[in-house]
Amino acid sequence: MKKVLVALLVLASVAAPLIAGGQQGGESDGPVTISLWTKEGESDGALQWVQSLAADFTAQHENITIEVLNKEVEALREDFQTAALAGTAPDLLWSVSDHAGPFTTAGLIQPVDDFIDTSKYVESVVMNGSTWAVPIASGNHLMLMANKKYVSELPKTTDEFIALAKSLTKGDMYGLAYNLGEAFWLAPWLGGFNGSVFAEDGVTPTLDTPAMLNTLKFLRSLKFDHGVTPVESDYAVADTLFKEGKAAMLINGDWSIGGYKEALGDDLLIGRLPKVSATGKYPAPYTSGVYFFIPADLPAEKESAVKMFIEYVTSEEVQSEMLANLSRLPGLKAALSSPLIENDPLMKGSVAQMEVGTPMPTVLEMRAVWDAINPELSAVMAGSETPEEAVKKMQEAAVNGIANLK
Amino acid sequence: MNSQVVLTALGQVSGTVFWMFVGFMLIEVSIWAVGNKVLKNKNTLVAMLVTPAFVGLGLLLVFPLIYEVVLAFSNMNLYHFRNPEFSLLNGLDNFKRVFTKPVLQSTTFVPVLLRTFLWTSQVFIHASFGMLLAMLLNRPGLKFKNVYRAILILPWAMPQVISALTWRSEFNFEYGFPNILLNRIGLPGIQWKADAVWNFIAMVLTNVWLGIPFMMVISLGGLQSISAEFYEAADMDGASGWTKFQNITLPLMKPVLAPSVMLGIIWTFNNFNIPYFINEMKLESSEILVTALFRAAFNFSQYGFSAAFALIIFALLFSMTLVYVKWTGALKGVTD
Repeated sequence: MKKVLVALLVLASVAAPLIAGGQQGGESDGPVTISLWTKEGESDGALQWVQSLAADFTAQHENITIEVLNKEVEALREDFQTAALAGTAPDLLWSVSDHAGPFTTAGLIQPVDDFIDTSKYVESVVMNGSTWAVPIASGNHLMLMANKKYVSELPKTTDEFIALAKSLTKGDMYGLAYNLGEAFWLAPWLGGFNGSVFAEDGVTPTLDTPAMLNTLKFLRSLKFDHGVTPVESDYAVADTLFKEGKAAMLINGDWSIGGYKEALGDDLLIGRLPKVSATGKYPAPYTSGVYFFIPADLPAEKESAVKMFIEYVTSEEVQSEMLANLSRLPGLKAALSSPLIENDPLMKGSVAQMEVGTPMPTVLEMRAVWDAINPELSAVMAGSETPEEAVKKMQEAAVNGIANLK
Repeated sequence: MNSQVVLTALGQVSGTVFWMFVGFMLIEVSIWAVGNKVLKNKNTLVAMLVTPAFVGLGLLLVFPLIYEVVLAFSNMNLYHFRNPEFSLLNGLDNFKRVFTKPVLQSTTFVPVLLRTFLWTSQVFIHASFGMLLAMLLNRPGLKFKNVYRAILILPWAMPQVISALTWRSEFNFEYGFPNILLNRIGLPGIQWKADAVWNFIAMVLTNVWLGIPFMMVISLGGLQSISAEFYEAADMDGASGWTKFQNITLPLMKPVLAPSVMLGIIWTFNNFNIPYFINEMKLESSEILVTALFRAAFNFSQYGFSAAFALIIFALLFSMTLVYVKWTGALKGVTD
C-alpha cells in the first residue's frame, strides 16, 4: 500500500510540469490555440465556411490553431456571459451586433480601435466614443423574396402586395410566409408606418403608439382578413414552405439567400419590401451585420494571433469569397465595390433593401423591447388579443423590463 | 466523428483529469498519514474511501448553494457584473422585489406560483394512470407482458430533452400529428404554440406522457410484492373487486406510492425541460417557477434577484416536502 502510494506521488510530481507545459503553451511564438464561438449554423453552409477558414488559416500559420464552436445566437450570448464570469471565456466571438449592448454594459468586451483601422470598414458598433466590433458582413436585414414560378415582378405597394398574395393563396399554397411571432419581422413595418421602438433619446420605449397599432393591425390583417399567410408559422416552417415552392413570397434575411439560391436556382427574386400604401414609406428593416467581438479578458499572448485571424477573415479576398459563396454583403468597404454585386440581381436587390433600412439599436434596453414585443405579437397573431390591448401591454412590459435591468 | 476530434477532446480534458487525480491522491495520502501513522485510528480506511465523495459533493453542491445565498444579497446584473456590491440592503431589496414587482416583464410571483401548483397537480394523473396500467399488467395470465412493459416504459427511457423537442415539433400547426388528426375528423387545428391556454395544455400532455411510465414501474413493483393470499382470503369472504382494491391493494401500496408521489411532485414542480422547450414562443403565461427563474437569471441577467427568487422557491419546496413527509410518513422506513 505504502509503496504504491509513494510511487504514484512520485509519478505525479514528475509528470506535472510536462502536462502543465502542454496545457498552457502560452509563449507568443509558441503554439497558440484560439477558441472562436460563432453564431453561424450549418443549414446555409456558413459554419462549414467558417471551419474551412479556420483550417486554411492554421495551414498558413502552423503555430496557431483556431477551434470553432457553433452556438445558437441567444445561447452564445448567455454562455459567453456565464463563461466570462467563470474566467473561461473564448478568445474571439463571431456574432450579431445586438450583443454589443449587454457585453459593453457588463464590461465583457474590449474596444477594437487599437486592433484595426476602422475607416476601412462599413459603419460598426460605436458606443461611448469607441468602436466595439469588427464588421465581417454588413446587412443582416430582412427583404422580400419571391419564387419566379409564381411572381414575375415584386409588388411596389402593400395594396399590390396583398392583392398578389391573395391571388396566389390556393389549396396548400400560401401567398406569403414569414416568421409570424418574431419582433424582428415586425420591425420593418413599424418603420414603414412611421414608428420607432425608441424615442429620440434612444432608450425610452415608444411602443404604445399609433404607428405600432397600425403595424399590428396590418400584420393581423394579412393572416385573418386576407388569409395569405400560414395560420402558425415560425422560421423553420416559413423556410420549408418557400423552399418546397409552397409559399410564393417570403420575408427573410440576407443570411438565407445562399440557401434559397441553392433550392430555387434562377427562380429566386429579391428586392425591397413594398411601400406601405397608407404612408407612402418603405418598410425599414433593421440593418446590423455580423461582427467580431474581442473579449476583455483576452490573454496578451493571444492578441497577435487574434488580430491576424481577424485580418485574414476581413481581407478583400476572403470577403469576396463570402460574397460569392454565401451572398452576404462584405464588411470591408473595398470589397463592397466588387463587380459581383453590380452584376448579380439578387445582391442588387439586397443592397436596394439595405439602403432604406435603419440601424438596429444596440443598447441594452433593446433586449427588454424585444422581449416585450414578442409575446404580445404572438398573442395578436394567435387571435387571442386585440392590437389595442397588445400595444398597451408591450409598452408596460418594456418599461418594467428596462427598470428590472438596472 | 473522426479520431482527430476524439483525440483533441481527450487532450482538452486530460489536464483537468490529471490534476484531479493528483489532488485526490494528495488528500488520500495525508488522511492515511495522519489517521494511520499519527492517530493510529482503525477507521482510517473508511475516511479514505468516503472523502472523495464528500469533496465532490462539497464542490458541486455545498459551494454553489452557499454562493447562491451570498449572491442573493448582491445587486449583481449586467450593470454590476464584474464587481457587484454585497449588502443586507441589496438582499432585502431582492427578496422584496420577488413579491412586489413583476418577476419577468409582466407576470408577478403569485400567478406563476398558482400556475406551478396547477402544473404540479398533474402528478395525480401520473399516479392514477400509472397504477391502472400496472394493475392491467399485473393480471395473472396476461400474455406478452414483457412486450407491453417494454413499450410502456419507453417514454421514461428516452432522454427528456429529446422527447421534449420531438413533442414540440409535433405541436406544429401545419405538420404536427395532433392537428393532422383533428383535421382528419373535421375539427380545426389548434395553435399549440401561440395560444396561451393550449400551450399550457401541450406542456401538461407531454409531461403526462413522460410521467406515467415511472409511476407504472413503481406501482408494478409494489403490486407484485403483495401476497396473493390476501386476495384469496377476500375472495372466500365474497369481496368485490372494488372492495379488494380499497382494502387490500391501496393500503399495501401506500408505502410504495407515498415516496414515489413525493418524488413525482418534486420532479414535476421543478421540471425545467418540458415547460421550457414546449413554450417555444416564450409566452409568460406558460412559465412555471423554475422556468421563470431561468429567464430572470439568464435572459434578463438579473443574477442577484434570481438568487433570492431561487431561495424562495427552495424554501417553498422544502416546507411542502416536510408537510408531506409528516402527513404520509413517506420516509418512515428510512428513519425507523
